[in-house]
Amino acid sequence: MSATTAVYTAPSAIGLTAAGLIRSEWIKLRTVRSTIWSFAIVIVASVTLAIGLSSSASDVARTIEEQAAEALWVATFGVYIGQLVMAVLGVLVISGEYGTGMIRSTLTAVPKRTPALAAKAVVLFVASFIVGAIATFAASLISVPILAERGVDVQFDGAFISRLLLASLYLALTSVFALGIGTILRSSAGALSAVLGVVLLLPFLVFQLEFAKADWLRALPPYLFSNAGAGMYTGGVFEQWQFFLIVVAWTAVSLGLGALLLKRRDA
Amino acid sequence: MIHAQALTKRYGAKTAVDDIDFTVKPGQVTGFLGPNGAGKSTTMRMIVGLDRPTHGGVTVNGKKYAEHKAPLHEVGALLDAKAIHTGRSAYNHLLAMGATHGIGKARVNEVIGLTGLESVAGKRVGGFSLGMGQRLGIAAALLGDPATLILDEPVNGLDPEGVMWVRRLARSLAAEGRTVFLSSHLMSEMALTADHLIVLGRGRVIADAAVADILAASTRTAVHVRSPRADQLAQLLQGPKISITTTEQYSLTVTGLSAETISDTAAGAGIPLHELTTVGASLEEAYMDLTKDDVEYHAGTTTTEGAIL
Repeated sequence: MSATTAVYTAPSAIGLTAAGLIRSEWIKLRTVRSTIWSFAIVIVASVTLAIGLSSSASDVARTIEEQAAEALWVATFGVYIGQLVMAVLGVLVISGEYGTGMIRSTLTAVPKRTPALAAKAVVLFVASFIVGAIATFAASLISVPILAERGVDVQFDGAFISRLLLASLYLALTSVFALGIGTILRSSAGALSAVLGVVLLLPFLVFQLEFAKADWLRALPPYLFSNAGAGMYTGGVFEQWQFFLIVVAWTAVSLGLGALLLKRRDA
Repeated sequence: MIHAQALTKRYGAKTAVDDIDFTVKPGQVTGFLGPNGAGKSTTMRMIVGLDRPTHGGVTVNGKKYAEHKAPLHEVGALLDAKAIHTGRSAYNHLLAMGATHGIGKARVNEVIGLTGLESVAGKRVGGFSLGMGQRLGIAAALLGDPATLILDEPVNGLDPEGVMWVRRLARSLAAEGRTVFLSSHLMSEMALTADHLIVLGRGRVIADAAVADILAASTRTAVHVRSPRADQLAQLLQGPKISITTTEQYSLTVTGLSAETISDTAAGAGIPLHELTTVGASLEEAYMDLTKDDVEYHAGTTTTEGAIL
């Protein structure tokens, strides 16, 4: 080529920004069917279960505390299903990219890699929290007239609302915990087994072993992911904020390890 | 401008890319050629940071790819056609890719138009043919209007019209002063598209030269000569590294000399020539010559002259 050939210079551009990454991940999240399905299932399951449970509630006389407990139980029963759906969604958000090869496009656009994962986590967390809040509040509102007929007066006081928000927060953290596992394991099948194992199977196994003599084994259950998650909005052997910290710890370890591996491995 | 220095990639005991140095210059189309498993794709993946070099490094416009503030404006890469989520539409894929760099709908629609994807842009990528997938991959590579384009087997799966289109696109992008680096296993394609070739065999650079020079250097470049005094001419042409074969009476096939030299020699001796033809060693043959010792996967022993690679 002759020396006079022009050298093309890239147009001066905005480049990578946190807002851009979040926008990109939001577009990705809302443009695959699994997201729409997952969020719809969380809301529908929560509302349907609330209707079913409140309709079948007995009309025995209850104390105010018992009424509040009944209202919470009805409003948050859907979380048992919701947590599984959020776990599946969290895994698919990243394992779907590995499975299709999309991850290479993602990491070419964001070669420092961890900002892409961070943006995924933020978007997933916020979207899951909002959907979780819609699900629990809708379940609770729809059960108000049904429960009223059975002598349960649902009080939307600060304590009740904060419990519903904590249940939503648990759902959001579940999806981010699953995102971390998905990033670590990369395959949908492996990561789904691992996440559902932690959420569903682990509490069951430990429950079976509770009668073992070892003290540490008996002390274990409240530290498990889904037990601590339920503790966030129902309370239990620890304070609610302590349960919250346990769930945050699980999530931080999962996402942190995922980020470390994402940074180090060849894509 | 892509600059690789001592670039090495090992997978366990296997060395995929073995201590290579090369520079891909702007303003021309550089072809990246090599048999299967030679390390072309691994090299391209290392350029954009998908694979981490075991040793050495590679820069794009003076910096490691990951250190650029706007990577998609520096390099547009098509690495494998279906690095795309199958559940998302082409339009949304491009929109999500662009959003990372603040590239909006206008540019997305522009590259959809450029690559002729208008009619399928709203469809999910899972249903795309290989050719449409390639076009979408090229659209994604063009999204940031980048100064450097890296295209791994861009004509794979394209119909003849699509192949022509990629060829023209590569040439026009280079003419604008961009760096265009494309791999292909189709030698004929390279002969038509590339100005410069980097040939890789078993992870090493075995040739790095202008296409014309590689053709000229091929030992298969032959000149067919017909003359009533062929025997006499053969005597005059003899020399080291020159081979002369007689296939029929009054006819010679000479390798190692140009047609010009033969013509001058004949004229000097007053020998009439009835035919003087350069038997164009195809790039394919030149390439076979270069890589015959470096092919990783031989197709048994039945390979014949001119076999399709």
